[in-house]
Amino acid sequence: MSIIQQHTSSSLSDAWRTINIDALDPDSSQNFDTSTLHPPLPEASEADVRALNGQVRQLLRGGDSEGALRGCLENPVYNASEVAKDAHLQTVIEVLQSIKASEMTPMLQRVYDSEGGSELVDVLMKYLYKGMAGGSASSGGPRTPTRNLTPQATGFSQIGNRLGSTNESTGAGMSVLLSWHEKVVDVAGLGSIQRCMTDWRKEGTAVNSWSSIGSTPKYQRKQSTMGNNRD
Amino acid sequence: MAPPEVHHLFHKPIADHSFSADRQTLAVAKDTSVELYGRVGNAFKLKDELKGHDKTVTSVDIAPASGRIVTCSQDRNALVWEPSPTGYKPTLVLLRIARAATFVRWSPSETKFAVGSGDRVIAICYFEEENDWWVSKHLKKPIRSTITTVNWHPNSVLLAAGSTDAHARVFSSFIKGVDARPEPSVWGERLPFNTVCGEYLNNSAGWVHSVAFSPSGNALAFAAHDSSITVVYPSGPDQPPQAVVSVSTQLLPFMSMVWNGEDEIIAAGYDCEAFRFQGGASGWQLTGTLEAKGRPGLGDAREESALNMFKQMDLKGKVKDDTQLKTVHQNTITTLRVYEGRNGSVSKFSTSGVDGRVVVWNT
Repeated sequence: MSIIQQHTSSSLSDAWRTINIDALDPDSSQNFDTSTLHPPLPEASEADVRALNGQVRQLLRGGDSEGALRGCLENPVYNASEVAKDAHLQTVIEVLQSIKASEMTPMLQRVYDSEGGSELVDVLMKYLYKGMAGGSASSGGPRTPTRNLTPQATGFSQIGNRLGSTNESTGAGMSVLLSWHEKVVDVAGLGSIQRCMTDWRKEGTAVNSWSSIGSTPKYQRKQSTMGNNRD
Repeated sequence: MAPPEVHHLFHKPIADHSFSADRQTLAVAKDTSVELYGRVGNAFKLKDELKGHDKTVTSVDIAPASGRIVTCSQDRNALVWEPSPTGYKPTLVLLRIARAATFVRWSPSETKFAVGSGDRVIAICYFEEENDWWVSKHLKKPIRSTITTVNWHPNSVLLAAGSTDAHARVFSSFIKGVDARPEPSVWGERLPFNTVCGEYLNNSAGWVHSVAFSPSGNALAFAAHDSSITVVYPSGPDQPPQAVVSVSTQLLPFMSMVWNGEDEIIAAGYDCEAFRFQGGASGWQLTGTLEAKGRPGLGDAREESALNMFKQMDLKGKVKDDTQLKTVHQNTITTLRVYEGRNGSVSKFSTSGVDGRVVVWNT
């Protein structure tokens, strides 16, 4: 019997190439929960988030917008219900909108230079991106978290309503986020975008590892070392 | 500071490079082959080509004492090239992996080498006399993703590995009959094969691109895709480390790094230039670049020509070419290695990158 005759139609075709061999391997990443790779994130209840947002708004009304900004960035809501997460996002956006354009850079600089400040600025960057993603969704995407969030239902801010209501206000909200984005990149560099992209603490499965105890030293900022003309 | 020595070898990415101990031979991984360059005066001339892999070669390492070259490739194989009077003779290594081999390094003792792979294992390879063959043992647990990089502890038993599951780990690769029993250290006392001596993750948990033991072996640094470097100071086996210092930079991620003494790290990556970090267990900081600014790159003068000028005028309507970076490397630096150093302090280091250049720098 020649070797050719041993071929069957299935072995001659390329169909075997499409077999997902990872599914057959018990050790493959398909067959274990990747969230176990990280320590779990503490869960925040809706009431916690509501209380925090109330405090932040209090600070904002008192005119302490930097305190309000720090307040909402020091307690990012990673692991909570969608409603709570969106409510926190709205609070962050509200704080951002209340800060004058001329105040943005000096305030960011102060936050960044303070102890653990680069972490806060990275959190801000994540909220900017989340805000931009949500904004586009509310203007007609399939996922419309901001539209579901009516002020009456949750008792949270009016901003969700404002963002979702008309295209003009979506544009206004977006321009706030974009101008903040520019300022954050000026202060924290491309590294903060990089961390935003790699960070696993986004959709909330887990939290700060113990390594956050290690200090984040401030280092000399060298504007000349970044932003060469590649981008 | 003397200007860096720039060797523009070709217009293709260099996956990895390695100098021989006398620094007269340079091995460069290019596509599916490894090219050997010999030093002729101030330049490097192609003198040999090691063809044996049939997919992209991902890593190459020359053992300083024996002169053996080990290469590994996406074809899932590693080859040991033995120098002989008639050229290099390849020997296949039994890696037993089903995915690409990504990274290879000789241990300081040169009796073993470690091959990282996409198969979630590290193959520790050693020579078995009775079979006249390079065989391997696998470090498997608890690796959950592709190994991107490995680095040997000076005692040739401990091995650090970085992975795309965002963890940097320290393993024991003790092999009976090959290794002498290691001295007890901060990483542990009894170290049977596949002991996990440490497992570290930083805050934002990016892919780990590079790991490096300090010259004493008592600290471990790793660079991740979140533009950070993290330095771990362990305090003893089964205890939390005494210090974990993470520096989140404003820069793009670092791909490769080396220690210069116990209090300095030189790292380079997507910013196309090398940066210096200084510090200790109480804190680390970025202290600046090793690139001298404002000096025209040595490489670009060669590429300037009348043809280029008219091409620029025709295509872009301008003579001045502003597509050149101000750095010596014109693209990502993928490998940074010690070129010349003594007792853990580095006087010269070499970099290679996607732009096909190998550059020797003074620290």
